[in-house]
Amino acid sequence: MTPVLEFAQTSFSYESRVLLREIQATISGGECIALLGPNGVGKTTLLRLAAGTLCPQSGEVRLQGQSLDQLKQGTIAKSIALVPQDVEVPFAFTVEQFIEQGRTPYLSLFGGLRAVDRRVIQEAMELTDTRSLRSRVFNQLSGGERQRVKIALGLAQQPELLLLDEPIQHLDIGRRFEMFDLIRSLSRKGIAILASMHDLSLIEGTFSSVWLLTPGEAMRKGTPEEMLQPELLERAFACPPRYRSALQDQIRGRRELVL
Amino acid sequence: MAQAVEQVDVAGVSDAELRRISCQRMLLAILVAALLVAIVVSLAVGAVAVPARKLALMLLSGHSLTPDQRIIIITIRLPRVLSAALVGSALSVSGLLFQGLFRNPLADPYVIGSSGGAVLGASVGVFLLPSVSIAGFGATALLAFVGAIGSIMLVYALAHVNGRTPVVTLLLAGFAVSTMLSYSSYFLEVWDQDFGTSLRVLASWLHGTISQPTWGQLAIVSAMLVLGLAGSVPLAGRLNTLSLGEEYATHLGVNVQQTRVALIVIGSLLTAAAVALGGLISFVGLIVPHTMRMVLGPDHTRLLPVTALAGALFLLLADTAARTLIAPAELSVGVLTAFIGGPFFLYLLRNTKRELIL
Repeated sequence: MTPVLEFAQTSFSYESRVLLREIQATISGGECIALLGPNGVGKTTLLRLAAGTLCPQSGEVRLQGQSLDQLKQGTIAKSIALVPQDVEVPFAFTVEQFIEQGRTPYLSLFGGLRAVDRRVIQEAMELTDTRSLRSRVFNQLSGGERQRVKIALGLAQQPELLLLDEPIQHLDIGRRFEMFDLIRSLSRKGIAILASMHDLSLIEGTFSSVWLLTPGEAMRKGTPEEMLQPELLERAFACPPRYRSALQDQIRGRRELVL
Repeated sequence: MAQAVEQVDVAGVSDAELRRISCQRMLLAILVAALLVAIVVSLAVGAVAVPARKLALMLLSGHSLTPDQRIIIITIRLPRVLSAALVGSALSVSGLLFQGLFRNPLADPYVIGSSGGAVLGASVGVFLLPSVSIAGFGATALLAFVGAIGSIMLVYALAHVNGRTPVVTLLLAGFAVSTMLSYSSYFLEVWDQDFGTSLRVLASWLHGTISQPTWGQLAIVSAMLVLGLAGSVPLAGRLNTLSLGEEYATHLGVNVQQTRVALIVIGSLLTAAAVALGGLISFVGLIVPHTMRMVLGPDHTRLLPVTALAGALFLLLADTAARTLIAPAELSVGVLTAFIGGPFFLYLLRNTKRELIL
């Protein structure tokens, strides 16, 4: 079976600084992957490469076996939805109007929304529990509501792969639990998910695998259990050795949370 | 939750959506009716009053006017009335496009300096190429277009930082460019060949005056407006997507660079159309789209037709007021819009502290 997305020796650098070196990885249908790593290691860059909005300097990224270079962005957006971290909207768009933008890749230049588009938008709102927010102004939503609405826009693209950039950042603990519930339920629907995180809690019960980016090293892949090891995390996040027991507590605490 | 779950019919069109659609239709109908009434009233009032009722009868049933009245209405007032409506419509739609382009509700052809560029272009036409003439415009309309495009590209390059156009940089860049361009028009006095006539033309331009255009001039500007409006239709949907930001729009398959170029070209075409007839008329492109946005929300596909109509209505009323308030003398309509628009602009500025929630 062809994977949904494949990184084939993908490298990316900003000017002379190599950020991602020869990434080799695949995402299959329904897989749920957490992308871990410290700030500035290239998590967002990796997601942008996966969404086709950035082009790798060498190697390629393939969607169903086809290089993203050769696909139109509008075609890519029908299979891959990127949910960016911060969104600023200068006008008072309602939640519904905001989510409607997810249909952009399916619309012609002159046509409005058709019945099928409206149905998909309805479904996206139901899955993310945003129906009751539909008439609210996007800019006036709370952080958790905003995040769900952005995911609804992504779902309106009818993607096979959902890329989430820091979906739980700035959320309080209750909204974090809700977000993990949402990620699990989308994953059960068969949508593949790649979510960047730099928080270690709740990874285990939600994600099927973990990609760990360590500065200057090749990306590691494995199950949450294999990857959430104090030695690996200490290196990746450059934790001072004297905090090893605290780090272990964090991981243990995380396991207890899952139980 | 106090909010009840809204009813959704088979096609998935929600109540809120239906309400918005009917609201837009109603507004369109009201604006068309108001514009027609305003045209008749504006034709009737002036130094020589022709009763509006009689005028309406003439239009409806061919009821004849005296030759004097005919000259006043058809030859003198009608071109001016049409001119005001065209200029208002062009300014408002270009304001709407520029606000979408800059993702900033304070953008207006006057504020961001594109009008200034158009004036400079137009005065080059008046002073340096007075003998070149196309349908009574000289090279004016064309050069105004070139000036508008040039200045907006300059302001855009100066004000656009990391995919955003912050209010402060936009206003400062627009102010500086606009001032330089408008005043550099005065340099051209040196080449003034007809002892002050061109200078007077320039002065009235800088004040923003709707004067007596020829039918040829009206035809050209109407063509520019129609072209600009037609070009705006496919861009309106793109503007909605662009509102979410560059990254989102790119990801969703919008060619951001191409869309921007199209917006600049069409916005400048409309600015040039307005400047060619009316000179520097400030704030219309700000007041009209914003008022429509307050009524209909920010969806550009809905805003485009109502903005075009409301702009025509607004400037027609303003110009009628400008030529009747202190009759038999006349105010420049630009003076009037500045007095209405200035406070409006300041109000917007006060209310957009949190990086613009409108």
